[in-house]
Amino acid sequence: MNAQVSLMAGEAMPQELHDLLNSTDGAAFEQALDVLVRQREQRLFRALGLLARDLHDAVRRLGGDLAQEGVPGSVADARKHLQDVLEMSSQAAHRTLDFAERMRPQADALAANAGAVIDGSAEDDVAYGLARQAQTFANEYREGMADFVVAQSWQDLSGQRIKKVVNFIGSVENSLLELVSLTGALATGEAAAGPVKVTSQDEADRLLSEFGF
Amino acid sequence: MKILVVDDFSTMRRIVRNLLVELGFSNTLIQEADDGENALTMLRNNSFDMVVTDWNMPNMTGIDLLRAIRAEPSLKGMPVLMVTAENNRDQIIAAAQAGVNGYIVKPFTAATLQEKLSKIFERLAASGANA
Repeated sequence: MNAQVSLMAGEAMPQELHDLLNSTDGAAFEQALDVLVRQREQRLFRALGLLARDLHDAVRRLGGDLAQEGVPGSVADARKHLQDVLEMSSQAAHRTLDFAERMRPQADALAANAGAVIDGSAEDDVAYGLARQAQTFANEYREGMADFVVAQSWQDLSGQRIKKVVNFIGSVENSLLELVSLTGALATGEAAAGPVKVTSQDEADRLLSEFGF
Repeated sequence: MKILVVDDFSTMRRIVRNLLVELGFSNTLIQEADDGENALTMLRNNSFDMVVTDWNMPNMTGIDLLRAIRAEPSLKGMPVLMVTAENNRDQIIAAAQAGVNGYIVKPFTAATLQEKLSKIFERLAASGANA
């Protein structure tokens, strides 16, 4: 006891501690201890409450700031934008591949017809020269088209990265959601009975949008 | 000849299909699956001569598909060519250990695809001759 009291030297001893140390019997000791503990708890809860409110405000402000910057207005929007990019890039790549697939048989036909002309004409013939040129062009064109097709793999490579970002946004969204629920419950003084479960994406989006996300 | 092309991106399936045609597999029946699970079902229900698969796919990844193929008595000899953006050492080693027949890192060229395909077919022909 003395050791503990000496630690407090220089400070006025709080009344509760004084009562505790001077309690005359077990009941009085219990009561004084109870008062002391409860006061400590209340102070802790008040501090936690203030902290939670600050955090809650900060989360709200962050949401507001994100929304004010305009694009995108919400987490759901952000995800949608990225999915749109994925979809549009896929369509664009497929259109390009349509073109390549349409042109390949034409190049084949040109090469074959040019070959027939080459076989059927003399080397000093105008048609011969033109057919050679057409054949060279058709062959080079085919090779170029193959590169052109391979080049469309940018869609797959960039798309995979976009998918990863979409998943990342989802996990950030879940963390934010938990933070919003937790700080909201604490700030309003409700006891947070474990993490709040949301059952649907709509619910999650709605809850987050209330906070400007 | 029947080849199964497995990739969750329809663009990549089409690119591989185009390159196979370009390389002269025009009489080949090329079928497509969008993940490992669907691929495995197709492999069990039809006879294929080769699988060209991506690594990163939902439901069942390419490496899991490869392991499933090697674990299944009726499929275990199936040649599997992996075409993937995964180029880290550990993954390449994992694929090799699982018994991949060829490994192509995206982006790739028609020439690379041709080279790996011919290597696979050469080895198949050699093992067929020895058998």
